Amino acid sequence: MTDIDHTVRVIIVPCSGIGKTYGTVSREAAYNVTEDLRPEDTYLVALSKLVLGDEEARSIIEGNPAITIDGCKLACATKMVRESGGKIAQEYAVLDVYRRYKQFKPQGIAELNEGGAQLAQALAGEITQVVDQLISGGGGKDNG
Amino acid sequence: MTEFLDFTIDKFTFRTATDRFYSDEGVWAKPENNYIRIGMSDYLQQRSGDVAFAEIKPVGTSVAFGDELAVIETIKVNISLMSPVSGRVVEINPMMETSPEVINQDPYGAGWLVVIEAAERIIDLKHLLDPQAYFARIKLEAGLEVKKE
Repeated sequence: MTDIDHTVRVIIVPCSGIGKTYGTVSREAAYNVTEDLRPEDTYLVALSKLVLGDEEARSIIEGNPAITIDGCKLACATKMVRESGGKIAQEYAVLDVYRRYKQFKPQGIAELNEGGAQLAQALAGEITQVVDQLISGGGGKDNG
Repeated sequence: MTEFLDFTIDKFTFRTATDRFYSDEGVWAKPENNYIRIGMSDYLQQRSGDVAFAEIKPVGTSVAFGDELAVIETIKVNISLMSPVSGRVVEINPMMETSPEVINQDPYGAGWLVVIEAAERIIDLKHLLDPQAYFARIKLEAGLEVKKE
């Protein structure tokens, strides 16, 4: 985290639910966006850093728009970003995303099945569009 | 106004509505004249997790007691719900198509699943548990599971 520059990037904060299928989908989507699709425009912040009150994570959250991805209705990612003073441009709930892509049924925990991988990819595609809007000066869209 | 029996284990409170009957698996049946409104108990919905989809037998389908009436897909499991009564499906909750999460939000109210027209003039409820019996059953079951952990 110390290598990050502080030009505007979109912060992606996924669910940290280990051992939960929907949590894994959220993280796979986040990795896809931050490592493959938009590595220059995004930055991944681990939810655990915010929970622990990591100063640098908080300062990054405070200075950049965030996209949160929640694995369940507890919505820990969204709540923690808000509590950390972040500005959420878009929040996603994996279950709502799945309802839009019923053909991609996620299963598996440590390793997602094909449906889960496809769902993560579809979610990553949606997030990428929001990232592009934010980087080009537009806002987020409706809660997904 | 519906009254409830409830108990709490850990951070979870489970409610049982006292104005209807229950199958062993936790499907409730509420007689309304010659019709029976059907849904999932609070205990069953909480144990099953957030509902993603609800697929219900279409209007006009005849079901006997124990026939599959609906398949509920949640973030944890797919559960097949058996009809607690015999009859014909006459109405499906339209929210099951658009927002099935209402099952989790209001299992005894807006989250009802279907209405069945009873096959017999006198609705046969002998296979079902009254609310006190169902409440005792789930309380015992939940208690035993906590002891196992």
